[in-house]
Amino acid sequence: MVFVLALVAGLWYWIGQSKLGYTFHAVICQPIVMALPFGIIAGDVTTALMIGASVEMVYLGMVAAGANIPADECLAGVISIPIALTTGIDPATAVTLAVPFGLLGVFQDQIRRTIQAVFAHKADKYAMEADVKGIERCAILYPMILGFFLRFPPVFAAIYLGSDVVQKILNVIPEWLTHGLSVTGGTLPALGFAITIFIIGKNIYLPFFILGFFAVQYLKISVMAAAIFGVCMALLITFLRREKVQG
Amino acid sequence: MEDMVKNEVVVEEGKLTKKDINKSFNRWYISAEVPNSYERMQGVSFCYSMIPCLKKLYNKKEDLSKALVRHLNFFNSQGTWSTPIHGMTISMEEEMANEGNVSDAAITGIKTGLMGPLAGIGDTIDWGTLKTIIYGIAVTFGSKGSVLGAIIPFAFTILTYFIGRTLWNLGYKIGKESVKSILEAGWIKELISGTSILGLFMMGALSAQYVTLSTPLSFKVAGTKIAIQTILDSIAPGILPLFVVFGIYYILKNKTQKYGIISLSIVAACILGSLIGIF
Repeated sequence: MVFVLALVAGLWYWIGQSKLGYTFHAVICQPIVMALPFGIIAGDVTTALMIGASVEMVYLGMVAAGANIPADECLAGVISIPIALTTGIDPATAVTLAVPFGLLGVFQDQIRRTIQAVFAHKADKYAMEADVKGIERCAILYPMILGFFLRFPPVFAAIYLGSDVVQKILNVIPEWLTHGLSVTGGTLPALGFAITIFIIGKNIYLPFFILGFFAVQYLKISVMAAAIFGVCMALLITFLRREKVQG
Repeated sequence: MEDMVKNEVVVEEGKLTKKDINKSFNRWYISAEVPNSYERMQGVSFCYSMIPCLKKLYNKKEDLSKALVRHLNFFNSQGTWSTPIHGMTISMEEEMANEGNVSDAAITGIKTGLMGPLAGIGDTIDWGTLKTIIYGIAVTFGSKGSVLGAIIPFAFTILTYFIGRTLWNLGYKIGKESVKSILEAGWIKELISGTSILGLFMMGALSAQYVTLSTPLSFKVAGTKIAIQTILDSIAPGILPLFVVFGIYYILKNKTQKYGIISLSIVAACILGSLIGIF
C-alpha cells in the first residue's frame, strides 16, 4: 500500500503542479481534494478527508498574487496525507508535518520558473522560423518533462522511505514540541487570511471583516450561512449605493 | 453576431469563426501557468493560445513569424479576468491581417496596459473571494469526513472556466476601444467593491472558524486561581486569533511581504510559546 500511495502521490504532484488547466490544477492541488484518492487507496476515505480538511484549513486564505506562491499546499498535502494514513497519526499532527513541506514546495516553483526561461528562448527561435509545432512543445511538452524530474522523485522517495522515519521521530519528540506544532497549525491559517485582506486592500471595508469574525464567534453561524448573509449584504450595499447615485 | 457566425457556411480566408475563438481560449485555459518563467511569465502561454487564430489569419510565413514573435513578449495577468485582453488581441490581429491598419505597437500597448488592472480584479474576485468561499464550504464537509469535501472545490473550476470563456468572447466582440471603457465603467467598480465587502466578511468568518489560539496562563488572587483565557473570553470571544490576523496584516502592510520569513516566524513563535508555557 505504501508503494501505491507513494506512486500516486508522486504522479499527483507532478500533474498538479504542472499547472495544466488554470483553475483545474488549482483545485486538484488542494489537500482536501487529493484526500479522496489517497483515502480510496488506503481504504479509509473518512479519515483521509478529515486529515485533508485539517491541512486545507492552513492554506484556505492563501492567494498567489502575481504568481508568487506563499506556500505550496499541493506538496504539503501529497506528503502529509499519505504519511498520516500509513502511520495512523491524527489530523492535528498531520498538519504539523504538512507545514514544513508547504514551505519547501515554494523552492520547487522557483527552480521551475528559473529553468523555464530556456523554453521561452527556444520558443523565440521557433517563432523566427514560424515553427508553430515548436512553440507548442515549449508551451506544454517541455515544461511537463522538466516537471516530472523536478517533482516525482522527491515525493515518491519521501513517502516510500519516509513513513518509517516519521513514525520513529514522532515517538521521540517531546510533548512541548508536539503541542507547539499543533499551536502552529491553529495560527498559520491567520497568514492566509491576512494575505487576502492585504490583496483586497480596501481599508475602509475592514469593519466587514470584524463583522464576519464576531458573527461566527457570538452567533456560531456556519461558513455556508456566512456566505449567504455576506452575499446579501454585499448586494444590498451595492444596490443602495447605486440608488443613491441615481437619486 | 451569433447569426452571422452560423450563416458562415463557406469559411473565408482570414476570417475567424466562434470555434477558432473558443479553441484559442481552451489553449489559454490549459496552458496559462504551464510554461511560466520569471523572464517571460505567461508570454509563451499567450503565444500558444493565439496560434489557432494566427495560423488562419496569416498565410505568409514572415507575417506569421512576426505575429508569433509579438506574442512571445512578457505577459502576466490573472488567468480568467485577463481574457478580454486576449479576445481583443484576436480582433486586432484580424484587423491587422485583413486591413493592415493596426500597428504592432498598438497591440503590445493594449496588452501591457490592461494586464495589471485586470489582474487586480481577478485576484480579488477569483482568488480572494470565490475560491475562499467555495473551499471554506468544502472544508466544513471534509472535516466531518464527507466525500463532498473533495468534490465541492470543482465548482470553482467550472465557474471560473465559464467566466474566462465569456470574457474572452466579449473582448473579441467589442474590440479595443470598449474594453478600456469597461474598465472605467461604473459596474466594474461596483463589482469590485461588492466582492471586496463579501471577501472581507468571509475572511472574518473563516478566521473565526479556523484560527485558534488560547493561553493556559493563570494567576492567583486571594487564593483563587484566575485563568487569563477566561478574562479574555469575557471581554470578547476570539480576541487572540483576531489579534494574530491583524498582527500579520500589519506586518504585511508595513514591514515585509516575504511569506516564507513570516511563516517561519509564526512556527518559531508558536513552538517557543509552547516551550515557555504561554500557549
